[in-house]
Amino acid sequence: MRSFWPIFKRELFACFVTPLAWVLVCVFLLVQGMHFYLLVDFFANQSGVSSDQTPVQAFFGNTVLLYIVLFLLVPPITMRLFAEERRSGTIEPLMTAPVSSAAVVLAKYAAALVVYVFMWAPTVLYIVILRRTGEVDWHVVGSSYLGVLLVGAGYLSLGLLMSALTRSQFLALVLTAMVILVLFILGVGEFITREGSLVHEVCSHVSVWAQMNDFASGVVDTRRVVFDGTLIVLPLFVATRVVDTWRWS
Amino acid sequence: MISVSHLTKRYGTHLAVDDLSFEVGKGEVVGFLGPNGAGKSTTLRVLAGFAGMTSGVVTIDGRDIETDSFEARKRIGYMPEAVPLYGEMRVGEYLAFRAELKGVPRGRRRARVALAMEKSKVEDREMTLIGNLSKGYKQRVGLADALVADPPLLILDEPTAGLDPNQIREVREVIKGLGSDHTVLLSTHILSEVESSCGRVLVINRGRLVAEGSVAKIKSLQRSPGIEVRVRGDGALALAVITKDADVSRVDVERGDGEALLRCTWSKKSLDAPAASERIIASLVGAGAGVRAVAAVSSSLEEVFAELTRDGAAPEIRPIGDPEGAAEDA
Repeated sequence: MRSFWPIFKRELFACFVTPLAWVLVCVFLLVQGMHFYLLVDFFANQSGVSSDQTPVQAFFGNTVLLYIVLFLLVPPITMRLFAEERRSGTIEPLMTAPVSSAAVVLAKYAAALVVYVFMWAPTVLYIVILRRTGEVDWHVVGSSYLGVLLVGAGYLSLGLLMSALTRSQFLALVLTAMVILVLFILGVGEFITREGSLVHEVCSHVSVWAQMNDFASGVVDTRRVVFDGTLIVLPLFVATRVVDTWRWS
Repeated sequence: MISVSHLTKRYGTHLAVDDLSFEVGKGEVVGFLGPNGAGKSTTLRVLAGFAGMTSGVVTIDGRDIETDSFEARKRIGYMPEAVPLYGEMRVGEYLAFRAELKGVPRGRRRARVALAMEKSKVEDREMTLIGNLSKGYKQRVGLADALVADPPLLILDEPTAGLDPNQIREVREVIKGLGSDHTVLLSTHILSEVESSCGRVLVINRGRLVAEGSVAKIKSLQRSPGIEVRVRGDGALALAVITKDADVSRVDVERGDGEALLRCTWSKKSLDAPAASERIIASLVGAGAGVRAVAAVSSSLEEVFAELTRDGAAPEIRPIGDPEGAAEDA
């Protein structure tokens, strides 16, 4: 695990010294800023209509906006992690240094997570802006960000695994986007299956949609947290085994 | 330092390395020689811990590469064949990263990086982006990377591949200087490469060890396939003389401006090529053919391999750890 730190630093360096991370952050903030504007505009013109919705809730849940953003921006963060190193061959000097596969996987994952958090950090300003015109429940804000972090961490973990499975960055991108889409569609299954059936149970359990609605309302359900934890740990574990096979095949 | 016994590596149905066994002692500079596709890179990858083996045992400094891989890798400085590097990093940054990755303590890192850059002659490019370096410099950065943690063993996969003659000479000089502090195993497909820097040579072909010994021994196997004679005129007289010699199986004549070039090939059974050359030159001179130049046709390494593998047996295999071979790298 001693090798975690140098690899983590190098990954971050590679992200921020090339335009990729900056482009992603720019696109993300542009899109999120637009969403925020539209939501605030919508709620501002709703005076008179009593609603239990708030802009914060709509920003993090109940609308499809969040998922579009995650669907478009998570795959590019993770696509290069392993695919690029295998395509260019730099994986060979990396793996022949005294490093463990787990350290390599975790360091790369941690770097991707930092980029993700870096991307979200400026959105706290939106909440500060809301605070100037009305009341903000900071508990709900906290649980919303926790939800965003957990869901994103799961997606990033899946993206890292996809990047380890192929030498092509583009294929890693497409595979990750597909997995995220499938997870989302499974969640939608909650609304189209018969209540009480097994499929319905499964769909509602894995639903990212329902999860973000919960978290955006300030409900932190441990079942959701356990599911997200599984979504983080399992792909990382598989990725570690995949990295091991490169060394011994 | 390196002990390989019965190493076999199979890619699907393709047998890349076939029951290979050899040892490399501490302080030796050993050349790993073979034509392209002989299994050199595969073997070195297994030694460096980047490829698994189908069967066999490999130990580095007493550490098994499979069961004690981490400790074994700590003792190796490995330079892969294509020298893949991170193009977006500067030379100094990259070497500092590699030093940290290889566990060089923080306090010694700067000094180690500086020393590695000095030894591989890249100090003047410390601040250059690796992506902007020439091939020769990249090669030397790869060498500096192998050196940076001061490992006892260096494994260099074709360290001079793709370089121009000047760069090749420079890299060879660097490698020659490493022999005193490190055990070096380097692969190449060029015989003259090992001549300049290695004390002992392992010749591998189709995944098998076909010969092992000092550079001089391997070179003596490189039998010239014939001689070239340049004579005055159209060479008709010389041709008549040469074709009478029993040791010549074939003569190709190339006529030029007032002189002719005769390329003689020794017959397969001819054994004493130097004596035959003397005899032919003497009879040419005696006949007044006007000899202007004589040269031995050099044989390629592939022909040496063909010679070595012809009867399926290696003619010059000598016991491992032969003192004669070891003495020469001092």
